Amino acid sequence: MKRVFLVALLWIPLLCFAYSASAETFTCLACHGSMRGKIRVKSGALVDVNVDADKYSQSVHGGFDCIVCHKQFGSNPHEPPKMASAPSDIVSLSGKLTHKAKVDPIALAACSECHSDAYKSWQQSIHGSNVIQKKQSDGASCVDCHGSPHYIVPKNIAVSHVNKKNIVKTCGECHEKEELAKKYGFSNHILERYYESFHGKKYIIGHPNAPTCVDCHKYHDVKKWEDPMSPVAWDNRTDTCGRCHKGATKKFVAAITHKPIGKDNPIPYYFEKGLIALLLSVFVFIVGHVILEAFSEIRDKVLRKGKEGHHE
Amino acid sequence: MNKETLEYQRFNVTERIQHVIMLTTFLLLSFTGWALKYPEQTVEHSSWLVKIWGGAKNAGIVHRIAGITMLLDFVWHVFYLGYMLSTGKMKIRKDTTIIPLPKDVIDAIKNILYFLGIGKEKPQFGRFSYIHKFDYWAVFWGMGIIGLSGLFLAFPVQSSYFFPSWSVNWIWEVISIMHSDEALLAIVFILFWHFYNEHLKWNKFPMSMTWITGKISIEDMKHEHPLEYKLEFGNKGDNK
Repeated sequence: MKRVFLVALLWIPLLCFAYSASAETFTCLACHGSMRGKIRVKSGALVDVNVDADKYSQSVHGGFDCIVCHKQFGSNPHEPPKMASAPSDIVSLSGKLTHKAKVDPIALAACSECHSDAYKSWQQSIHGSNVIQKKQSDGASCVDCHGSPHYIVPKNIAVSHVNKKNIVKTCGECHEKEELAKKYGFSNHILERYYESFHGKKYIIGHPNAPTCVDCHKYHDVKKWEDPMSPVAWDNRTDTCGRCHKGATKKFVAAITHKPIGKDNPIPYYFEKGLIALLLSVFVFIVGHVILEAFSEIRDKVLRKGKEGHHE
Repeated sequence: MNKETLEYQRFNVTERIQHVIMLTTFLLLSFTGWALKYPEQTVEHSSWLVKIWGGAKNAGIVHRIAGITMLLDFVWHVFYLGYMLSTGKMKIRKDTTIIPLPKDVIDAIKNILYFLGIGKEKPQFGRFSYIHKFDYWAVFWGMGIIGLSGLFLAFPVQSSYFFPSWSVNWIWEVISIMHSDEALLAIVFILFWHFYNEHLKWNKFPMSMTWITGKISIEDMKHEHPLEYKLEFGNKGDNK
């Protein structure tokens, strides 16, 4: 009995270190680390109440107490949340985010406490103004690009949503959606167009210098291209392109568009059609010629063996 | 007859070196460039092809070096031809020239009729049959188109200075289509036309050695290039 107790005693600090989390977190995770399924909250949204303790401990926020972000819960989460326990600026910011974060706007607003620069530029971005000023619930906020704060890992790690390997897909999550494209007037073929472009092809095959969305459009402070502050606004393009293509001129930057090779761009469209026709006719000719010749050679060797005699 | 007269020197050493450089650079260019043809549809084999070269960056470097080498080979070839013609070491004659002539069209038709079993006789070829001429000019044309568009793509900023401003909206699409579609054509062409005619044919398999030795046996010459044979040896060979 004594031995069992000792072994158990030895495990406690080990477990604590393993999660490198405080007792507070440990207490929350005791339930939230093993809960399955979703619950319906007052606002009507279905919420995943489970936090994967392993993944959480490996995330950049893994060492935090839950109440660092979930401020309104104080020390006992099962009492009604108290707004008063959160700082007033976070509470007021969270008020602007309630339509976006139906479950815990306080936690979403809490990002700004540590990441104030990123938060500020986001607020000035088209994504941010969409959420904060236009009150759109489908505008992108921190979690839409970075994933759940519980599992955020540094961007140089392959599984990070904003890792170079994943960033195009992450942007595509929204920018490929037809209903969003219609609502906000952007093209939902932008990823396709990017993949067809030289930048995109290089990206797919893993070229380290291939630019992704964020290299040209920026990220936290991404703006509509018509906005003069956008790096892809007409007047800024020579600088933006010039970062990789030294000496880029107005004439050069016109090359980089996400325009499709379709009928609205007739010269390349018909040029390609013409080339394909040429290709196919050459293919048909050479393949036909080769097949016919091969068969005639076999025929000559097999059937006309005797007739070859006079050549020798 | 002694051994030397049993073979005819078809290509000199310069021509053979030109061919070897082209062969090497062609293979390098195909294997480094292919991954960029349809990567969005064939991610897996594209990234596999790129891995062979140690990543996209290396593949790009190999592609550029091979491309420049091939273009230099092309330039060398053109200057070489100019030199040979201007010094009279090479003469343009009906039965030996690589220049396409009306006879080649007739030869092609005759040959195809023979394949189909309609024609009784195969056409008689000179130094270069229409098959060789097609092979040669396809490469010549491809070098021009792919080489030029490749240079534009390798130096996009510098090339943009040359393009008139009314063309900027479509010129790059046209250039990239030119480069990659022509390259596809070149690869398929070599794979079918050149491979069949110089490697897989009944009497050539696994390959005609002419590309290394530059020589062709008198026997083969009589059969494959009868007109050139007549031009070189008259009719005396017939009595052999």
